[in-house]
Amino acid sequence: MTTTLAGGRAARRQTMRRIRPRRSPAVPLLLAVWAGAMGVLWLWWHNTPSIADNNSKILNAGRITGLLAGYLMALVVLQMARVPALERRVGSDRVARWHAMSGRYTLSLVIAHVFLTMWGYALQGGRTLGDIVQQTIDSINQLPDMGKAAIGTGLLVVIGLVSVGGIRKLMPYDTWYHIHLMTYAAVFLTFWHQITTGNDFAVEPVAKTVWYVLYGSVTALVLWYRILTPIRLNLRHRMRVEAVIEETPGIVSVLIGGKKLHRMGAEAGHFFRWRFLAPGMRFSSHPYSLSAAPRPDMLRITVKAIGDHSAALRKLQPGTRVWAEGPYGAMTASRRSQGKVLLVAGGVGITPMRALFETLPGAAGDITLLYRANTTQDLALWDELSKIAAERGARLMYAVNSPEGERPDISAETLRRKIGDIERHDVFMCGPPGFAQQVYEALRGAGVPARRIHHESFEM
Amino acid sequence: MKKSHPLRRIVLATAATVSGIVLLLSLKPTTDPNAAQAAGAIPQQTAGAQESAQGGAAAAGSGTVTGRVAQTQYGPVQVRLTMSGGKVTKAEAVQAPSGGTSTQKTELAVPKLNQEAVAAQSADIDAVSGATYTSAGYKQSLQSALDQAKAAGGSATGSSTGGGSGNGGGKASAPAAQARTVSGSVAQTQYGPVQVRITVSGGKITKAEAVQAPSGGTSSQKTALAVPKLNQEAVAAGSADIDAVSGATYTSTGYKQSLQSALDQVGG
Repeated sequence: MTTTLAGGRAARRQTMRRIRPRRSPAVPLLLAVWAGAMGVLWLWWHNTPSIADNNSKILNAGRITGLLAGYLMALVVLQMARVPALERRVGSDRVARWHAMSGRYTLSLVIAHVFLTMWGYALQGGRTLGDIVQQTIDSINQLPDMGKAAIGTGLLVVIGLVSVGGIRKLMPYDTWYHIHLMTYAAVFLTFWHQITTGNDFAVEPVAKTVWYVLYGSVTALVLWYRILTPIRLNLRHRMRVEAVIEETPGIVSVLIGGKKLHRMGAEAGHFFRWRFLAPGMRFSSHPYSLSAAPRPDMLRITVKAIGDHSAALRKLQPGTRVWAEGPYGAMTASRRSQGKVLLVAGGVGITPMRALFETLPGAAGDITLLYRANTTQDLALWDELSKIAAERGARLMYAVNSPEGERPDISAETLRRKIGDIERHDVFMCGPPGFAQQVYEALRGAGVPARRIHHESFEM
Repeated sequence: MKKSHPLRRIVLATAATVSGIVLLLSLKPTTDPNAAQAAGAIPQQTAGAQESAQGGAAAAGSGTVTGRVAQTQYGPVQVRLTMSGGKVTKAEAVQAPSGGTSTQKTELAVPKLNQEAVAAQSADIDAVSGATYTSAGYKQSLQSALDQAKAAGGSATGSSTGGGSGNGGGKASAPAAQARTVSGSVAQTQYGPVQVRITVSGGKITKAEAVQAPSGGTSSQKTALAVPKLNQEAVAAGSADIDAVSGATYTSTGYKQSLQSALDQVGG
């Protein structure tokens, strides 16, 4: 239980910073998305002088769903482009939830669009709803770019299916991830029929330009932030494993050395997606938080060996090349509104809390850390936490199960009793979902406003 | 942390989307207001004649006429003329390209074109440099408006009833002798929009033509093949009960839809 990385000069300097709260740009972004959707609907409205009969109604419903799906498709891809404004200001977890939600919605629109359009054309050709399959085959054969669109739609449906909760759990994460990457191909394939067969783009050259700009800029952002930025980052910083340290049974720290690491823009609370270039680990990257404030020559992550990947970390040899992407995450000092801070960590959720505990600006007595674990043996990093607490004059508390295995009581009353002015605290929280939910409810019960509870949840 | 039940979210999103689309669809009129406006150009003209008749001068060719929509690369252009005593007293663009630099160009070019049109009294006007496409579209629409004004002026002077037949209502009550053109609503087909315009005289279709028809690739060939046949059939049948041209089923269906809506307008 000995370590390593407490109290760098950089960390001490950070504790002196002024508190500058920054608002999340989520609301303006959502408004812009809605405005864009209105614009798309307006395009349809503008280009449709009249709807004569039921058949035209079906076709026009197909057009509306198609236009909206085309618009949202670009945004669904944009959400995963790792744009810093989204990852660090809105928060990777929130953006991932948006992505899942809008992805499902867009796929539903795509399916509705195919069904309605083919139904409408079938009726127009003097057929019935029953001939919809034959109609689809005819349209694919006769219309430009429809073959591509059909393949793309098929891919999207497959990707959608494997993302359904139950099915997703059946396959390893890496398999799922690589299937999911095919979305790029699917979007590319479905793009062209929008331009060549889309009524609104045929009659409205401006709309066509806007569509090209929308998809073009999303493509540029993906190339820039998902490919070029990581390449530049890794060429510049050349990270390697320095050492692997066992903190407690089952929890290891990995020390990662490199050049000018303080120039990566990483802060306490951030995470990176790590890929260790060792046999068997090359093809998967995993998000782990920094467990100490970054030093110019050293970063540290602390990981609990739960999955195959995290267990393999233990066997990493010093000198192993590391490929990192980041920094991501919004649970940093800039989330804090003012004054006092309570950090709540559950188990290995201590990692970002440990880094924040060291660096959050604040006078003596402003910072409190509540650390929940099963036993005192499981309190990883406890020694350095105690040291930081002593140096900063911060409060450090732990809650563990009783010797009989009884869970500690974390409720509104106990929180209020332990921390008198709890309602005036900003709360940063990291831990397993059930624990986070319980603490959230206790905090709300103790009078902490929801906007001051900062939590990252990667549950969908 | 606030959790809403996923099922609730799904139901809400579905309900909102479906009702939004149904609402949008139901808000659209069943016939094209622009087509009706074009058809209404002549009654408007008659109403204008009536007005000036009250003033004592039986001046032919007064009122407003609206030209056809000319499609340009940057968007549609449509010209409306105000006529008085057979002369163009005012020209304006009802539609013109907009958006981005198009708006600037329109703002620059259209006032000049309007002036030129009034000065020249014909469509023989100079294009505004830097706005070639808009100018070309303007001239096309202007020419069609002038043609309409001429035709209407001729029939108005020839008609002994003068302006008396104008009822000022929006609905066109066509005197039997007067030829009218009516555009049907745009019918969307798999290959593109189809719109039919018919000329009706003495209660009969004297001419049918497709203002819009699918184009591009094989569509152009099919259109070239099918539309003349359909035009003939429409004149021969005097109704929308015509045979589809084989090999061009979708275009034929769209044609028949638009034709029916044009006939409905005449009938109404």
